[in-house]
Amino acid sequence: MTVQKKLLIIDDDPDFVEGIKSILDGAGYDVDVAYNPKSGLQALQSKFYDLLLLDIMMGRGAEGIMIARKLRKDSKLREMPVLIITGIREQMAFLFPGEPVHPRFVAVDELVEKPVEPKMLLEKVSTLIETAEARKTKSD
Amino acid sequence: MAMNPKEKIIIIDDEEVVLDSCSQILQGRNYDVFTAQDGATGLKLVEELKPDLVFIDLKMPGIPGLEVLEKIHVQDDTVVTIVITGYATIDSAVEAMKNGAYDFLPKPFTPDEFRLITKRGLERRKLVVEALTLRREKELLRENFAAIVSHELKSPLGAIQQNLFAMTGELAGKLSENQNARLERMKIRIDDLIKLINSWLRVYSVDISKVKENFAPIQVPDLVTKAIENVEPHAVRKDIKLITHFAGQLPTIEGDEMSLIEALVNIIGNAVKYSFPGSQVTIESTEKDGMVEIDISDKGVGIPEDELQNVLSDFYRGRSNKSDENSHGIGLTISRKIIEAHNGVIQVTSKANVGTIFTIRIPVPQGAGEK
Repeated sequence: MTVQKKLLIIDDDPDFVEGIKSILDGAGYDVDVAYNPKSGLQALQSKFYDLLLLDIMMGRGAEGIMIARKLRKDSKLREMPVLIITGIREQMAFLFPGEPVHPRFVAVDELVEKPVEPKMLLEKVSTLIETAEARKTKSD
Repeated sequence: MAMNPKEKIIIIDDEEVVLDSCSQILQGRNYDVFTAQDGATGLKLVEELKPDLVFIDLKMPGIPGLEVLEKIHVQDDTVVTIVITGYATIDSAVEAMKNGAYDFLPKPFTPDEFRLITKRGLERRKLVVEALTLRREKELLRENFAAIVSHELKSPLGAIQQNLFAMTGELAGKLSENQNARLERMKIRIDDLIKLINSWLRVYSVDISKVKENFAPIQVPDLVTKAIENVEPHAVRKDIKLITHFAGQLPTIEGDEMSLIEALVNIIGNAVKYSFPGSQVTIESTEKDGMVEIDISDKGVGIPEDELQNVLSDFYRGRSNKSDENSHGIGLTISRKIIEAHNGVIQVTSKANVGTIFTIRIPVPQGAGEK
């Protein structure tokens, strides 16, 4: 394997995080976890991550969206791929009326619904990282 | 007990003696009594004080009592009003009741009569307010149902499932065949639960009529093909053939593709579920009288006549479903709602042990006939 990829999970449900982290650990990723939006943002600003796994519904509402919006405004972080993991795919259309399938928070993002099948999770993660890297090489 | 705010009563009457005596009768009780000597002043008080109960004399100079009554109810329909009729004619009392008065009090009246009617009026007010609060709570609950259910129920299930997914990988090779089978079974059961919650969410919280906002042209064969792709795995497992017929060049319809596919998947899936292994399900699309008609017919267990009318109503669950098939009849309800949101209709005919035919008709938009 090449350099170990670094992932960050921001999700406030420790049990869910355990389940998803162990799948990613098992696939050889280096996984950090933040259990609230604030420490999540701190982690993102202090360290480079190849991918962010972001929960949308945290705390008192859709606090994950605030993170996504902040990322979109940050010239460096907006290049980082984001895998949005949500328990509310069904309601997304009503939270974001007028947006197709799901709203694009950042240039490179995808959305999956909780719980995520390991195969699908790993596929999405690796595809998102590859796509982001390809874009980067292209623009370099 | 929490301290109740004093109940507010307004008495509108042009006779000062009435106002005085009424105020006196109610004195010493847990009421705040206010008085007005004409309709205009009374209305102003009502607006300011938001009273619980208002007495209105019908015969007053200035704005007539009936008009005062009407205006109060326009302002706030939860205020309980009682009219005082100087001339005890049934007519004026009836007229007042038609205009929203809760009761009437003929003059002259005794202090006891007045106390009693005040008590009844305030009880009425309590009920009105309670009913209103309950209705608001119900609305609020409905609106927030999606958020509550998804978070409170789906989150823990999602966390459990995610760990089962993870452990399946981690325990690979370490479990006996039987343990593996049980682990798989657990995942299936939780998956069923999550799907069930999603269906309930769909019915309760999602306003299906909103799909109208996303209408776009749709080719019927596309629709049917995509729906079949979804059901195919189940059909293959039960050795059921899915056969499609398209009668000629079908006109384009207007709709929301995703939800129409969902509607078809529910119905075709249902047909597969209740079919006998080795049989077939036919999906036939035709154009008839400005409508596109899709018939889904199976040669399955059928639906008894007395149950037929319930199939498409809310929350029907087949009586004869086998125990190993988990069925939540909610799917058909959702299908019906989706089709109705497309101005279409869905019907079902069936014979026990012969089979069932679901017929969907969706209107072809005018002028979009030939492609």
